[in-house]
Amino acid sequence: MADGKSLSLFKDKPIKVLLAKPGIDGHDRGMFVLAKAFRDAGMDVLYAGLLPTPEEVIDTAVNEDVDVIALSLLNGAHLTVFKKVSDLLKARKIDDIAVVGGGTIPDGDKIKLEKMGISGNYGPGTPLATIIAHVTQRAADARRKKLADR
Amino acid sequence: MSRLNIDGLAKGIIAGDIPSISRGISIVEDHSQNYASSELMKKIYDRTGRIHIIGVTGPPGVGKSSLIGMLAAEMSKRKQKTSIIAVDASSPFTGGTLLGNRIRMQDSINQNSIFMRSLASRGFKGGLSSAALSTIKILDAAGYESVIVETVGSGQADIDIMKIAHTILVLHAPGLGDIVQSIKAGIMEIGDLFVVNKIDRQEAFLAIKDIEDSLAMLPSGTWTKKVIGVNSLTGEHVGELMDEITRHREYYFKNRPDDEGIREMSIYIEDEMRRIINERSRQKGDLHREMKKLMSRGIDPFNGALKIVDKIIGTEV
Repeated sequence: MADGKSLSLFKDKPIKVLLAKPGIDGHDRGMFVLAKAFRDAGMDVLYAGLLPTPEEVIDTAVNEDVDVIALSLLNGAHLTVFKKVSDLLKARKIDDIAVVGGGTIPDGDKIKLEKMGISGNYGPGTPLATIIAHVTQRAADARRKKLADR
Repeated sequence: MSRLNIDGLAKGIIAGDIPSISRGISIVEDHSQNYASSELMKKIYDRTGRIHIIGVTGPPGVGKSSLIGMLAAEMSKRKQKTSIIAVDASSPFTGGTLLGNRIRMQDSINQNSIFMRSLASRGFKGGLSSAALSTIKILDAAGYESVIVETVGSGQADIDIMKIAHTILVLHAPGLGDIVQSIKAGIMEIGDLFVVNKIDRQEAFLAIKDIEDSLAMLPSGTWTKKVIGVNSLTGEHVGELMDEITRHREYYFKNRPDDEGIREMSIYIEDEMRRIINERSRQKGDLHREMKKLMSRGIDPFNGALKIVDKIIGTEV
């Protein structure tokens, strides 16, 4: 799984991803599986710990200048909480950090999340390679924006 | 590829703007951005030289991250503007890194809005020391009064960072084997303050005694090295530790060595040379195949290596 390293954009600085479960949800086994998978794909991985607020997630993401925030919820609050994260990013005028989602998300909600710019939204059973490929692609977009002249 | 607005970035950093600081660090971390880094360093240089660099080192599991969280909270209480840099080890197999230090201090960081950045050690590829040093410069220019640097306490790069720290805390905990054994190799000399964490454990007293005994055997300098027992979960005695750090800071700044710049430059030189050599070996094509060829010709590994090195840097060794 060398997906994370294949792009020249990440030659000297690997993809940096923040895993977070904002909201009241303690199901973190999936996060640990992803953390290890991302690390093994050559990424720099941060985990925000249990029960951070959306504000704390953004603060961490900004401090660490991550490329991707990967959100996960299994408690059904994704439409509220993921939206809050995405709204906060917009309010702070941050457009060079991508947001992806995952967890138990009904198909109908996926479209709504996509519209907020939260992509992926993979459920249980998704092959890790699919998730890594998606994160890599979103990270590339984010990194291009970070490196753009403005 | 990129022409970032370095001027604006430098202004943002000096004004203490968090996104600018953070982006600046991303630039100095990335060797493909060396030109941008050099411009940035030029622009912030005259704003640097005030920050107090506190190094925290010690074996894994002794509570470095938790203690740093407590220290940072204590500093905030004392109205000191502090920041944290934590180094995590990269996997030597995949190059990936789990930046896990943050999680132990997350609460303290959030409650006190402390700037904290995780750096990956990148293993043999090097670059950590210069990235960490430039990160410190950025925080310095941004007006932070102190920066706490956490390292895993092993490896060359770690030791390099400790070379630029003003106050070095060596952390240990009881129950991890013979303490003197594990901290004797050079660390007794570089440490300014010795901290025994987890003092609620019964062997803690002996650990403190052990370290005090070995310190007594060091030649005495103008600074008397001290051993302090703390509990990084409850915060017990963290205030006293903070007092000692402050005392050492005053001592250091009063007796500030005049070769700081030279030491920093040496770190950059070493890192840059390592980077150039790595880059060149990459350009020289498939060195692995070359090595195989040499081995198949019956050349011994030592002389084979000399040939390869000659091929990379082009000087007869």
